[in-house]
Formats: sequence, C-alpha cells, structure tokens
Amino acid sequence: MLKISNLHTSYGGSLILQGIDLKVKRAEIMVIMGRNGMGKTTLMKTIMGLLPPQSGKIELENESIGGLKPHKIAAKGVGFVPQGREIFSDFTVWDNLRLATMRYPRKKRCVPEKLFEYFPILKERKNQRAGSFSGGEQQMLAIARALVANPKLLLLDEPSEGIQPSIIQEITRILRAINKETGITIVIVEQNVDMILDLADTCAFLEKGRIADTCPKDALQKDDSMITRYMAL
Amino acid sequence: MTDLIIQLLSAMNFVLVLIMVAMGLMIIFGLMNVINMAHGEFFLLGAYTVVMTNRLGIGFWPALVLAPLTVGFIGMLIEYICIRHLYHRPLDTILATWGVSLAIKQLIIIIFGPAGLTVAPPLPQMVTVAGIEYPAYRVFIMAIALIIIAVTFYIFLKTDFGLGARAVIANRDMAATLGINTRRMYRTTFAFGSALAGLAGAVMAPVMSCDPQMGLGFFIPAFLSILVGGTGTLYGVLAGGAIVGGGDSLLSFHFSPVAAQVVIFSLAIFLIRIRPQGLLGSKKP
Repeated sequence: MLKISNLHTSYGGSLILQGIDLKVKRAEIMVIMGRNGMGKTTLMKTIMGLLPPQSGKIELENESIGGLKPHKIAAKGVGFVPQGREIFSDFTVWDNLRLATMRYPRKKRCVPEKLFEYFPILKERKNQRAGSFSGGEQQMLAIARALVANPKLLLLDEPSEGIQPSIIQEITRILRAINKETGITIVIVEQNVDMILDLADTCAFLEKGRIADTCPKDALQKDDSMITRYMAL
Repeated sequence: MTDLIIQLLSAMNFVLVLIMVAMGLMIIFGLMNVINMAHGEFFLLGAYTVVMTNRLGIGFWPALVLAPLTVGFIGMLIEYICIRHLYHRPLDTILATWGVSLAIKQLIIIIFGPAGLTVAPPLPQMVTVAGIEYPAYRVFIMAIALIIIAVTFYIFLKTDFGLGARAVIANRDMAATLGINTRRMYRTTFAFGSALAGLAGAVMAPVMSCDPQMGLGFFIPAFLSILVGGTGTLYGVLAGGAIVGGGDSLLSFHFSPVAAQVVIFSLAIFLIRIRPQGLLGSKKP
C-alpha cells in the first residue's frame, strides 16, 4: 500500500530523515514511535508533500508520490491530520468539513453522511464555530475533515496530544471502527503508549532519522523492552 | 452646512474607491504574502483604458467592462511570468513588483507621453443630493464602488471559492493538504485583485487628470488602510479605508493636503505601534 525506501529529507538546513525504509500493508494500522526530534513529524509532512524529499522514494499503491504537491497527494487518496489539529477555528464545523470537498466539481461537493455516524457531535454542532470546541472535539473534527474525501490512507500526527484520556479512548475506538469497516490504511505518529497498544497492528521505531525496528503489536505487549529502549529519555 | 455635505460626499467618494483598491491589495497580500507594489499601476492601466476608448471614439462606458478584463488579464500574465517563481521569496516579490510598476509607468509614458490627460465627463449633468446640487457622475462612482465592494464581500464570505480563499489565507499548508490547489487560487485571486484596481482606475479617470504617476495617489493610502485596518479580514479594509481615506479627504479640505498627510501618517505609525496587527486584523503566527 505505502512503500517508502531510502527517504532523505532536510528541514531548516539539517538532514532530519536519513534513509527511511517503511512498508505499510493495506488496511494495516501502523504506529510510528520515537522520542522528540527524531523526525516523526518531518516524515509525515514529507509523505503529505509539505516538505520536499531530498532523495528516496515514496510509493502509494505502486505509484510514486514523492515530491508531488500536497493537493495532488490528497487527490491520490491521502488524508492528513496534522500535529496540533490545525482546524480553521474561525470557520464553522460545517465549513471545515466542506473545505475537503473543494477539490471536486461543484455538483459533486458533498460531505458523506456516514461520517456523522462516527462523529455524531459534529452533526449536532454543525453551525458552531470550530474554535469554540474543546481540544478533543477539535481533534474529532480534524479526523472527520481528513476522512471527508474517502482517502485510502490516513496520516495522523500525535492525535492524543493535549487531549483528556476519556476522549483519547473514544478516538481510538472510532479509528478502529473506521479501519475495520472501510479497510482504510492508517499511519499514526504517537507517543501515548496506551493508545498505541490499543490501536496498533504494527509498531515502527524511529531513531536518528531511520526506522530502527519494527514489530507486531502482540510482541510488544509481551515484552515492552523496545518501548523502554526507544521511548525512555 | 452645504459645505459640510459636499465635503462629506467627496470624502465618501474617495473612501469607497480607496476601499476597492485596498481590497485588491489586501486579498493579494493575505493570500500570497505578496506586497504588490504594482497595484497602483493596475489602477493606472484602468484609467488609461478609458483614455484609449475615448481616443477610439467608443466613449467611456465600454471601458467600464474593458478595464477590469484587460487589467485582470495583465495581472494574470504578470503572476504567471514573474510572481509565481518568487512565492518562497517574499522580499524579492516586493522588488519584482516594483520593477513591474516602473516598467508599466514607462510604457505609459512611451505610448501616451508624460503629460496629464483629461477625458470627457460621461455624465455631465447635476443631481440633487440631500438638498444640494451634486455631479451625477460622482453619485455614479459611489454607487458602482458600493456594488463592487458588496459583490467582493459576497464572493469571499458566501461562495465556495471564497471559503477556499479564506482557508488559504488562514492556513495555506492545511488548505493544500485538503486538496485545494493553492497555486491556481493564487492566479485567480491575483487577477481578481488586479481587476478591482483596474476598474477603480477606470471609474476615477473622468474626475482625475490621467498621468503616469496617478497610481501612487491610491496605492499609498490603500497600503496605509491595510496597515491600519489589519490583514486577514476584509472588514479591516473597510475600517482602514474609512479612517485613512476619510481623514485624508476631510483634513485636506480644512487645512492642506500636506497637513493631512502628516496627520494620517502619524496616526498610522501610532496605531501600528499600539496594535501591530491593525484594528481588526487577526494575529498571524
């Protein structure tokens, strides 16, 4: 589904990604872990086209997407939930969602009703200003917004950041349900170990700009020494 | 009393046309972070479109349609040839658009000469406004400016295109990851902003002396309006235009144009000192 090979990206003059190799299978939930400053966000931004790759390859279903503009990558079926959510706080909830349909011709611009089954709160508060939402509600809006155009691949950058535990659990549950029902592939950068163990199929550990290790979640549940090795300060 | 009404009317005239020019400048700046130094020259080109149609003998009215179309097209061309290569170098766009501004001015001098030209007033009759005689054409200017301002607000606040444009202004990267083609939006908006300036120039041509420097008289106050009103929201332009344009116009009348400029510039400096984001502007990170 997603295949990254020998990817290098610089950010602010220094080489952050130094040869990433990563394969994600269709319908898999892949969690990328690592300490701060190891290049997790840079990796997400490079896949999404917000940062240009210096060298290496990014392939989505055997089609190279490395170096394309973000709107082209979005059109290939990639949805993005950035760190800090980045919702349009002055716009209504509805306008936030509608923005993801602007890429289509006018007549085909519709927000799928099914989204509101996962996120009923968004329907109730459709006309509310998105900025008035709590952190958790904003995160749900950001996820819903990324799903409006039915992507094949969903990228999430630290979805649990600054959100209360009960909502993290709810978001985890929703993501799992969406993954099960639609077969969407999900790549998440995350540091919250509870969320990771709840959600992941496979975990990858990012260290010094490379994928240092990958392992299935089950192995991690039995033996958490890897988490200590790659996550502890 | 009559004096006061006339002053207020002419101040309103200036304010409304100024807002038209400033809206174009602000949309271009808000969307692309480009300070378009050639914006005054788009105004100039609009005015000279009227000079052209007069010379061709088809009179003033066709210019009202021709000017925004021509200037919009020229704007699009300039975006394509020059500005689009400089989006990641905001400082250089100032230099580049300044160069474009010089080139346009010189081209006008080559074609039309440096002297001021006047065009025949398209509506010479007078009408009665609030009990006084007032030139009908001035009333027409206000009407058309009001309509254009309303239409621009409608486009940016109510249509899908406007929603996309506001999203790009608020957060370019996020808008792009949602599938919005920001480059195409830049081109459309640049053409739209240019067309606004072109139309303003055409509308003002009959009541001004058309000379190659005339753009400056609107570019500088338009620029100040944006600084005072704040970027990021169209309402800021309304407030900025009203303060800068109204203040300038009324003070010039009561004291002198020089005194008016001194006051307006000082006010702008003071405002920017205490409120850097402008009166209604949103803070940009």
